[in-house]
Amino acid sequence: MELMAYVWPIGGGKGGSGKSFLTSSLGRLSAGLGKKTLLIDLDLGAANLHTLVDLPYPTKCFSDFIRKKIPRLEDTVVETPVENLYLISGAHDNLDIANLPYEQKIKTLKAIARLDYDHILLDLGAGTSFNTLDFFLISHNGIFVTTPEPTSIENVYRLIRSIYFRRIRHCFNVTDFKALEEAADELYGRGAVNRPECMMEVVRLKYPETHAQIQDDFNGFRFKLVLNQLRRHDNAGLGQQICRIIEKHLGLRIEFAGNVAYDDHVHDAICARVSFLERYPYTRTAGDLRELSKSVVQTAGEQMLINYS
Amino acid sequence: MADMEGKRAVQGKFADLNYYEMLDIRPDAVPFEIRHAYQNAIQMYEPGSLVSYSFFSEHERKEILAHIEKAYLTLVNGKERQGYDAELVRRGVLKGDVCREKADKKPVSIFSISRSSVLQPVCQKKAELKARIAQCPRIGAIAQKTDICGADLQEIREALGVTLEQIADETKIRLDYLRAIEASEASRLPAPVFLKGFVKAYLKHLCVDPGEEISTRYMAALSVQSEGKAS
Ligand SMILES: Nc1ncnc2c1ncn2[C@@H]1O[C@H](COP(=O)(O)OP(=O)(O)O)[C@@H](O)[C@H]1O
Ligand SMILES: [Mg+2]
Repeated sequence: MELMAYVWPIGGGKGGSGKSFLTSSLGRLSAGLGKKTLLIDLDLGAANLHTLVDLPYPTKCFSDFIRKKIPRLEDTVVETPVENLYLISGAHDNLDIANLPYEQKIKTLKAIARLDYDHILLDLGAGTSFNTLDFFLISHNGIFVTTPEPTSIENVYRLIRSIYFRRIRHCFNVTDFKALEEAADELYGRGAVNRPECMMEVVRLKYPETHAQIQDDFNGFRFKLVLNQLRRHDNAGLGQQICRIIEKHLGLRIEFAGNVAYDDHVHDAICARVSFLERYPYTRTAGDLRELSKSVVQTAGEQMLINYS
Repeated sequence: MADMEGKRAVQGKFADLNYYEMLDIRPDAVPFEIRHAYQNAIQMYEPGSLVSYSFFSEHERKEILAHIEKAYLTLVNGKERQGYDAELVRRGVLKGDVCREKADKKPVSIFSISRSSVLQPVCQKKAELKARIAQCPRIGAIAQKTDICGADLQEIREALGVTLEQIADETKIRLDYLRAIEASEASRLPAPVFLKGFVKAYLKHLCVDPGEEISTRYMAALSVQSEGKAS
């Protein structure tokens, strides 16, 4: 199935890394270019995108669709005070995305694919539940966010491995996958089943064709990494090096999309509930965000929704 | 350039990579590049490294570091490297006409190194200025003022540790004009069309963004001020 809009899922292992701030900033920049832009807050349970786009009391939200109060996903969209910027809010959701039943997830994925917008940004929240992974895999353009802290890096590596793993998992039925896990266990010892690179090796040995297919599939992905909250003493080359490690040791290509400097004004803007980009346009951070939007939302490429049968 | 057979560095097995792949260098790398690559690799894989934090088990990390050490010691030693290259050729990994000898003779690598050392100071200076601007909230604050006067520009320049002479040198703007810009002395300054270009060049030299906008605000403030004096 083809996606109508360009979809950028934004994920990161850890809460507080700046996913929502980046989602709202990229959304504002995209809307500012005249693109009809939709933000979807899928960080259910910890939703706050509405606050970042100055819409404290959204009238409708995502769970209205899940609870069938609103039959069509497009009708849960609310306008924001920013021209061209729209939101499907996750406010008032006591639903956890991890607990979204399978059919509901598929229904949502398909509904997102049919939404008529130029750009869609998904704020996925933290964690590596299957549902989060599947939403991340909705398009080829997933963006990983991390900060230069070991905790955040640890979580983003875990997320990247989980995504990889999930994609491999999609290609097999339960029995075959179980057999693969056992083989990995035997070949690489315990713990190998949590390492997609080992699983891939086993797939290569047992199902060379599927292996080539998955490899091909991953070559089509345009994953990106953003390093947020970089302070002045941090290693500016960190993001590039992380991507290098992932390519070298996982065989996954992730493009480094850029650093976003740390700035206390972000806090100030959020507290004042104003747009950081408008209030502090001359900070390095604002410049970084504009650069980022050039390499992210302003690049176009082929994109397809992964087929869920 | 020497060609590496299609083998991609994937699927986790670091030990299966050849030494060039381990260090991320081309087979015709010169010793300078090898040392640099080695330092990079250590920085990425050493136990305290943030880059690879949590990515490897302790055991894997030790193994990788041992491989890197071996790769480095082999490749920086001319004789051992020759032997290793011969082995790669035998294994079909490296094409027979090992190009390194050619590369050694070619002036290309020396040229590219000397060229980069000429370019570096300029790039470095720009990067340094940008870094300083990022670290100095005062500059950001000035840049956002609606009324920008000469003293504001001077404050930015001094905060960045740049002299007027340096600006004059690079922009070719006369020093007395630069002084008048900072003193907001309209009477000693050229016509607005020229002046605005000067202010922009001045800001560009300091890497202060956005030059267009700030110079517009400077011009506006200057004209208000001179009108005030006139009346
Ligand atoms: N570049 C930045 N500079 C300074 N603070 C930032 C930056 N990005 C995010 N923050 C801070 O981090 C907090 C958490 O960001 P948020 O986007 O809510 O994270 P997440 O959605 O990943 O949990 C924000 O409230 C903000 O104060
Ligand atoms: Mg969030």
